[in-house]
Amino acid sequence: MRNRREILAAAAVGIAAPALLRRAWAQQDAIEIGSLVSLSGTFANIGEQVDIGSKVAFDYYKTAAGKPLRYVQMDDQGDPGRAVRLTQDAIRDRGIRFFMNCTNSAIALAVAKEVANSGGVYINQAGADEMTGSLCNKNTFRWPVATYSAVNTTVRPFMKQFPDAKKWYTITGQYVFGDSLLKNLKDVLGELGGQHIGNSYHSLSDREYSGFITAAIAAQPDVLCICNFGSQTIDVLRQAVSFGMKRNTKIVVVWSTGLDQFQSLGPDICEGVYFGANYWHGVDTPGNRLLSGVIKEKLKVTPSYLLTAGWACTQATVEALNKAGSTDVPAVIKAFETLSFEGPTGLEKVRAEDHQVLKDYYLLLGKPKAKMRDKDDYVEVLSAEKAFLSPDKTGCKL
Amino acid sequence: MTNASPRFPNGTTVAIGAILVALPWVLPSLTLASEILVVATGALSCTLLLGSVGLLSFGQGLYFGLGAYVSAILIRDFGMNASVAALAASVAGCLLAAAAGLLIVRRQGVYFVMLTLAFAQMGFFLALAFPKLTAGENGLGNVPRTTIAFGKFALSSPGLLYAFLALLCFAAFAIVQRIIASPFGSVLNSIRHNDNRSEALGYDVRRFKFAAVTIAGGIAALAGAMNTLMLSFVPLSAVDVETSERLLIASLIGGVGSPLGALVGATVLGAMSDFLSPVWPRWSMIVALLLIVVVLFLRDGLLGLGSVMGRHRKEAPNG
Repeated sequence: MRNRREILAAAAVGIAAPALLRRAWAQQDAIEIGSLVSLSGTFANIGEQVDIGSKVAFDYYKTAAGKPLRYVQMDDQGDPGRAVRLTQDAIRDRGIRFFMNCTNSAIALAVAKEVANSGGVYINQAGADEMTGSLCNKNTFRWPVATYSAVNTTVRPFMKQFPDAKKWYTITGQYVFGDSLLKNLKDVLGELGGQHIGNSYHSLSDREYSGFITAAIAAQPDVLCICNFGSQTIDVLRQAVSFGMKRNTKIVVVWSTGLDQFQSLGPDICEGVYFGANYWHGVDTPGNRLLSGVIKEKLKVTPSYLLTAGWACTQATVEALNKAGSTDVPAVIKAFETLSFEGPTGLEKVRAEDHQVLKDYYLLLGKPKAKMRDKDDYVEVLSAEKAFLSPDKTGCKL
Repeated sequence: MTNASPRFPNGTTVAIGAILVALPWVLPSLTLASEILVVATGALSCTLLLGSVGLLSFGQGLYFGLGAYVSAILIRDFGMNASVAALAASVAGCLLAAAAGLLIVRRQGVYFVMLTLAFAQMGFFLALAFPKLTAGENGLGNVPRTTIAFGKFALSSPGLLYAFLALLCFAAFAIVQRIIASPFGSVLNSIRHNDNRSEALGYDVRRFKFAAVTIAGGIAALAGAMNTLMLSFVPLSAVDVETSERLLIASLIGGVGSPLGALVGATVLGAMSDFLSPVWPRWSMIVALLLIVVVLFLRDGLLGLGSVMGRHRKEAPNG
């Protein structure tokens, strides 16, 4: 009997030992940073690119706060529930305190709560306004802009350029993100004297939009505005162009992921279309020169938004750790809150009141194929602006 | 299920209890063990329907999602404890399944399957259509770690959370085993074999099917509530068709011949997902392959592996 107990105890120690050793080793040697990326499941195409961008940044920076960095890949399979579970494991079993990345807002919001409860730090690429709004927390930061910024930095300069384009029709994804874009668009149109003459909602699962597009054509708008994201943006735009909408209507896509979408669409479809984007590789800033150089050297490709998003979250974390000079979480949060760094879009600053990274958002115009200087030169940059909701209006209480 | 009604409690009850105790020791992560309990309980609802009555449901995710949302709202907005929230979620699942059951048990075969799928789709879009209640695709967050009951035993410790989930899971398995061993279970078994003959014997087949659908809905909703307790959060994916598929696949892989199959299937699926995904992003192909093998060669799932191998050994020529 005693022998059996001893065997069981030894087995239990054997099972637990790797986790304990891993934790002790991690704490002594390196700063482990957990990266939430969907490498399988619905969002694998996004996760893979973000993962690659982050890994390239880890290879480049190598250390932070005087310690080596270690990248801990966490495949959430596109499932927020699994992301939460992996985060719990990483915190408990490996003692990881720093996290980054996400492939959709639901994952980011769920992980943000978990990281905040355990006293870690998390920076992500969520699109949902709630991330730096009603669901913000002390431990979480967001790199891309919110929907308010995306709409204001695309629609305002567009309307300035085309004051006669008054009648707007929208095709909107019927989910929180699409609705946020639509609401902000209506606000801007109301303020600038535009007229919202109609909207067609599509669901998250829709792939065929001809009905919505014929409704838009029948309304005879000056502008067709597409308020959705991802592959649905590509499908709506492709079908709108094939229905001939570009001939007598201007098309504005307020939220695009830039290069990867342009490559899917091709120059003929992109030509003459206005896109809003968080990043464009052609922008000449010190941070972008660095990023482009490293990505081109390591991967032999032009950086896309997704690669850049992975890089940017790594860079911000490294900068904050260096500024704090330690891995003490309150010190790193404090460093984050006053952080200002040469990021991919120029000088980027973190706003302490809601933990939003203040950065440029671009209005881009698709070029004719004949004017493209290289195979990735799809657009010209019409404007680069920062427009953020004032902290007292975001609903964020830290 | 076998033709003769098994006794309760029996060896399977002991095996289920032993697996629940062993999981946290065998697996590298307590949260993985907790997730397996959630999937096992959800898969049990498919096992009950398919194994006992022969009803293939593609819609158990609907009740799973309902249980998840109901428990989250009760805990977050009404300050209820985990036991009450789980019980209320199960009752809500039973009620919804009863309402749906009134319609779906009127059809058989592929029509029954399509109706369950349609209800599941409807549930997903309802969750999307009421973002103020469900938080839409952002997921329902800020669910606090509550206590088990009477303000005692806070579920903030992962060990205690696992123990509580294991208790709920064991209770669900015990109820299903008890049902199968009862005269009611015998009638369900006879309906699975031949519902026309059962009807000719005087049993109201629709009523029995209705009862099975209702109970299965309650069990799936309990699994949803367990998921909420584990995550403190309800993702929209809790109510999507993929959840229904996942529960069904877990039950099929384990085998619908015994409730134990649900636990075996959930364990195999959970372990594969955790161990294979860091190695190979396309690991889901292995699950698909396993499902094909099970459907073609292991009609009783992985639980039937032993008997299949035994049969082959007997049939093999000596020497």
